[in-house]
Amino acid sequence: MAAAFLSKEATIAPLDYNRILVPPAALAAHLSIGQVYAFSVFNIPLTRLIGITHSAPVGADGVGDWTSNDVVIIFSIAIAVLGTAAALFGRWVERVGPRKSMFVAALCFAGGFIVSAIGVHYHWLLLLYLGYGVLGGCGLGIGYISPVSTLIKWFPDRPGMATGIAIMGFGGGALIASPLSVWLMDHFKTPSSNGVLETFATMGVMYFMFMMIGVYAARVPAEGWKPAGWVPPATPQRLVTQAHVAVDVAWKTPQFWLLWVVLCMNVTAGIAVISQASPMIQEIFAGRVNAEIAAGFVGLLSLFNMIGRFFWASASDYLGRRNTYIVFFALGILLYSTVPSLGRAGSLPLFVAAFVIILSMYGGGFATIPAYLRDVFGTMHVGAIHGRLLTAWSVAGVLGPELMSILRDDRIKNGVPKAQAYSVTMYVLCGFLLLGLICNICMRPVHERYHHREPAPPRSPT
Amino acid sequence: MRAKAIVLWLAVGLPLLWGVYKTLQNAAKLFH
Repeated sequence: MAAAFLSKEATIAPLDYNRILVPPAALAAHLSIGQVYAFSVFNIPLTRLIGITHSAPVGADGVGDWTSNDVVIIFSIAIAVLGTAAALFGRWVERVGPRKSMFVAALCFAGGFIVSAIGVHYHWLLLLYLGYGVLGGCGLGIGYISPVSTLIKWFPDRPGMATGIAIMGFGGGALIASPLSVWLMDHFKTPSSNGVLETFATMGVMYFMFMMIGVYAARVPAEGWKPAGWVPPATPQRLVTQAHVAVDVAWKTPQFWLLWVVLCMNVTAGIAVISQASPMIQEIFAGRVNAEIAAGFVGLLSLFNMIGRFFWASASDYLGRRNTYIVFFALGILLYSTVPSLGRAGSLPLFVAAFVIILSMYGGGFATIPAYLRDVFGTMHVGAIHGRLLTAWSVAGVLGPELMSILRDDRIKNGVPKAQAYSVTMYVLCGFLLLGLICNICMRPVHERYHHREPAPPRSPT
Repeated sequence: MRAKAIVLWLAVGLPLLWGVYKTLQNAAKLFH
């Protein structure tokens, strides 16, 4: 019975189904897994599981609290596994449909919290790496791509807006998870526990239930369904194909790798800023911005990261995908190169304004890429192709923060004041954006020899 | 179907609005 409910056939919607019911399914999944962006709120509590109010040093018995370096690896593993899982399970997600894949994503993501809670109970770090990192990371990867191709098929007239809504949820997830985690830890705190174990267990159950909204509401359109009154444009834009490219062929095309670099460069630049946002604003505006105010700045960046996902992806339906990325890279280069001057001038409002626009374009890059893939490779395997492209995120997730940290430390070692230690990094990031701009300008339609010759496979196996 | 749409959108929209509100509350300190 449960297997029948989860099957792809059970999710095929009747022809009169209202497509406005579909985005909440995607949002339920992405608002849940977006929690990963707020995982850093657990970093300090996880280093005080034994000492409670302080980090207990390793004693003669070899028992002591985990270090900060031990703990931050959990997030890195989760992000690396996200990209890998999206690439590995993309074809499976296309085959089984959004309901079963969202259900598996919920099991993995919630299971990751439960395994981590057990790891906290036994103070066994490996269980957190395997739990939240690997199992949870699989949930992140599968949950991220599950609703994307479904939404593109429901909104052929507005694919950018549709994927923007879903991927906006991933940005919004941190806005919910951050205060929720703090509130739960405070609620469960006792003199002998800082409440992390109970918070992990509670969040595992809560997120599983919330993702079930997505499992329940997931629907795919019937074969041949089109929005009422919508006629595909007779003369589509140059980069928009009416053909399909299979996933195993797509990654052999130059277009796939050009888009891989485009995504990687856009994410590297944005994630570099996110990784150092709090210390950066405190050091550039020393004496004016303390840790609490910097937390407000980080929150504002998260908010614009979310807004940008919806705004830019929707705008791309009118501007065209390539033009939207030209805006990201050209405006990005302008803003990154201006930031050092704004810092030197002591202009906090303009500094903040520059970074919220930058972060909106970071989010916009994520949200626009599925529609770009759909334009270039067609809808047949867009979810699986998107999954493989997300390996660019895994690379950028390591490259951006490492680059920012290494360059900053190098400048400080060379006697540059902390307030000016970020200038060179900003110019280097401009170089990354320039590379992305060149790759984006080089985008051309996929050659006909890569097109899928047979008709697209039916959405439900018979 | 309209009632179902309202329930679904509220289920995902209300937590998101709460998150946005808490974030703006925090961000307001930046301009005080």
